Amino acid sequence: MLEACLAERSVLNDDFLRQLISVGEVDLLVGLPTFNNAKTLGPVVQAIRAGLLKHFPRERAVIINVDGGSRDSTPELVKAASITDLQLSSEVYTLRTLHSISTISGHGAATGPALHTIMAAAELLRAQACAVISPESINIDPAWLERLFRPVYRDHFDFVTPTYRRHKFDGLLLRNLLYPIMRALYAKRIREPYPSDFAFSGRFCNHFLEQDTFDHDESGSGTEISLVILAIAGSFRICQSFLGTKARAHRDSAELVPAMRHSVGPLFSSLDTNFPIWSANDGAQPVPTFGPESELTAESVRVNRKQLHQMFTSGVAELEPVLKSILSPQTLLEIQNIAKVVEDDFRYSHELWVKTVYEFAASYHKSVISRDHIIQAMAPLYRGKMYNFLVENRDASGEDVEANVEALCRTFERLKPSLLERWDGRK
Amino acid sequence: MALPQDPLWYKNAIIYQVHVRTFFDSSGDGIGDFRGLTQKLDYLQELGITALWLMPFFPSPLRDDGYDIADYRSVHPSYGTVDDFKKFLTSAHERGIRVVIEMVLNHTSDQHAWFQESRSSKDNPRRDWYVWSETDTRYRGARIIFLDTEMSNWAWDPISKSYYWHRFFNHQPDLNYDNAAVREEMWDIMKSWLEMGVDGFRLDAVPYLVEREGTSCENLPETHVIIKELRRKLDEQFPGRLLLAEANQWPADLRQYFGEGDEFHMAFHFPIMPRMFMGLKLEDRKPIIDILQQTPEIPEVCQWCLFLRNHDELTLEMVTDVERDYMYDVYARDKPMRLNMGIRRRLAPLLENDRRRIELMNGMLLSLPGTPIIYYGDEIGMGDNVFLGDRNGVRTPMQWDGGWNAGFSTADPESLYSPLILNPLYGYPAVNVQSQRRSEHSILAWMKRIIGVRKSTQVFGRGSIEFLHPANHRVLAYVRQLKSETALVVNNLSSSAQAVELDLKRYEGNILIEMFGKNIFPRVGKLPYLLTLGPYQFFWFRLRKI
Repeated sequence: MLEACLAERSVLNDDFLRQLISVGEVDLLVGLPTFNNAKTLGPVVQAIRAGLLKHFPRERAVIINVDGGSRDSTPELVKAASITDLQLSSEVYTLRTLHSISTISGHGAATGPALHTIMAAAELLRAQACAVISPESINIDPAWLERLFRPVYRDHFDFVTPTYRRHKFDGLLLRNLLYPIMRALYAKRIREPYPSDFAFSGRFCNHFLEQDTFDHDESGSGTEISLVILAIAGSFRICQSFLGTKARAHRDSAELVPAMRHSVGPLFSSLDTNFPIWSANDGAQPVPTFGPESELTAESVRVNRKQLHQMFTSGVAELEPVLKSILSPQTLLEIQNIAKVVEDDFRYSHELWVKTVYEFAASYHKSVISRDHIIQAMAPLYRGKMYNFLVENRDASGEDVEANVEALCRTFERLKPSLLERWDGRK
Repeated sequence: MALPQDPLWYKNAIIYQVHVRTFFDSSGDGIGDFRGLTQKLDYLQELGITALWLMPFFPSPLRDDGYDIADYRSVHPSYGTVDDFKKFLTSAHERGIRVVIEMVLNHTSDQHAWFQESRSSKDNPRRDWYVWSETDTRYRGARIIFLDTEMSNWAWDPISKSYYWHRFFNHQPDLNYDNAAVREEMWDIMKSWLEMGVDGFRLDAVPYLVEREGTSCENLPETHVIIKELRRKLDEQFPGRLLLAEANQWPADLRQYFGEGDEFHMAFHFPIMPRMFMGLKLEDRKPIIDILQQTPEIPEVCQWCLFLRNHDELTLEMVTDVERDYMYDVYARDKPMRLNMGIRRRLAPLLENDRRRIELMNGMLLSLPGTPIIYYGDEIGMGDNVFLGDRNGVRTPMQWDGGWNAGFSTADPESLYSPLILNPLYGYPAVNVQSQRRSEHSILAWMKRIIGVRKSTQVFGRGSIEFLHPANHRVLAYVRQLKSETALVVNNLSSSAQAVELDLKRYEGNILIEMFGKNIFPRVGKLPYLLTLGPYQFFWFRLRKI
């Protein structure tokens, strides 16, 4: 399969292939998709190297960087991590050569093509375990490598998703949407279904490369969540591993729509092909977890909630024609009603939010309008839910937030039949 | 055949290490002897070796396989007489084979007459020939070498009621080299053997000759003074003879033993040997290049001695803890295989009797800078017996044929100095000289061939080395050069086929001639030179600009 794929449209250019030949068979492969990450990449690469040398000194390992076409010195930073007989490091001792190689994918920040290249390389090198590390994981320490690789390399899991210690207001899309809906539909309690740091087995990698769908995904978006879904759909052994503190992300509000395109879009898409799986699931199963499932910190931070509320209300007003084609009249009416409520009395209930999401999912399935427009239209409503979450949990402890998320998950599970009804056209 | 008159003969030598006891028993008493060894010189000449290194053959209680000498001027009666030795020496020289003998300078047996005199009374003239103390607290900086058996470097002597110093077994008291009489006597002993015609000495345990408080008692400046004095006398009175150092030290420490070309001619390169095994198992050239890059330049007239295996354990003293753990795990999983800080196994069992790996390791041994030493029996792939005590498992009788006692002796098997190897894989019915002589494709035949190729050029013995650094770390490649002669060596350390691109720009226009089959390979051009190698395959190329 891979050979055929390479012959037609290879993700491996000749120079990269030459580097792979030199690397040869490996036990462990670390993939590092990058795009203009030079400012933060140095410590990440050093931690990866230190982690490999400390925890897997005997294993044949390689660091593979697939760069989107950086204009800074990102690839050079990665290559400098090599330890060969030409690049001996006086600070570290190694039993064997450590290759750190780089190739250009030219797809900018999209991680999909990079992941595809990493996985093709992993298959060629017959890697037993692969870990993908985000170049933005600036809090990484060498132990992360052990926590990601060990479940695959020693305990024979096929896919490892991370859990982190996060601030209660970080990862809101995960907690308010991705985790609950994945849990309700795919019946797995995976806390980070859209992971930026994860690991998988060679067996899973081969399975991925056999999927035509990924070959044709030129946009390269959403591969991370698609991989998780693929692992679930393929009944691969999945586990979670606690890595440590996840650095706080400072996202611009303009990044929300792309983030939803890369996460919610592929998730909704997967429901088409995986209908027999998710429609039959009944009750979410816990996933084996090394370390805590979740740790939330609650130190006070400044959040601009007012802007979220404004974007919600204006979005509901401006997108009314679009929302009409997506949502049921009753749901739309309820949303319009809460949009009229003053900030202090605003409440976007779990029940209404779940109905909103399920109706978007069904409309996405039916492609009632352009699928991308559906995702875009969901963004202001999500902002409303986010505003509600921030207000509700302003003074909440980590445990309180967890209880809130659990309640949302149960609502998603309880209302799953409504999605099924809409899916087959009864509504 | 006359011995070639080349003062640097040792640089191109192929040395064969053998213990007289192990090789061939001519008297039928179950113990190898000089007459037997003499009878087997034709075999050694046929193999192609150019020098023999004999392990100690002096009278000894044999509590350390002869390294506990009780009389330096004679031959152990089990091995014959001094006359037998002289005849052997003449016969070896007639075949163009030089003979290097062992000289244990550091210590004697506690049965040596000197020690008996020394311990007899504190007033005895030989009292000061050994290192005595009223306490066992001096020289605390000195490590204990035989950790498995010795608790201290001091031993209590109940006769003289004092402690004596010993760096090795407690029955091997160290001589006191601060005593001029000791130094004079040892030179006089060496001189007597040189006058008989021996071509050199392997000086055992040289770093430990002198003790000083507050030091590790190893590699002390005073030791070098003694070595320089020995060398000066040797050069003055016996030019062209050799001093070979046994000093299990890091290359930087070993470097001192060459002096400015005025101490040892040669020294064993101990740390490279475990790293060759490590590189092979890791399928990675890094350990080999690491250690060779740490190896300092030595004077032009000096040479490293390389070996894969010898009569001792595969020493892991000169490796890091991580490397040692790895070596134990991959080469000595079973506890009986381990001894002191090393692995007591022969070459073939270490390499799982894999012919390709045995050839590759010998290929590297004979092409890396230095003079190679082949341990007896390894040229036919002999096995070992890890259940024999100490290091005796790698010192079993030479396997000449599949008949009575492997053709080693006509004695009853029970009276052999050591049991024969009998297991189905390495036992003498399966592994012996006679059967391998009958096949052109045996290890023995292959060893003869590679030794012949090595001897066809001086570039491996005397040439410079330049490592190539192809991106494929499983391939170890280097260029050896001597004047206008250039050889390229490419080794695949991997169990799978490998492609490698070599940067040979400097040699553009040269044709590669494979040195075994003499076949021509494509001319070197501007682009990287692409080679493919099968599992554990290696190439020796001569580069010629025609």
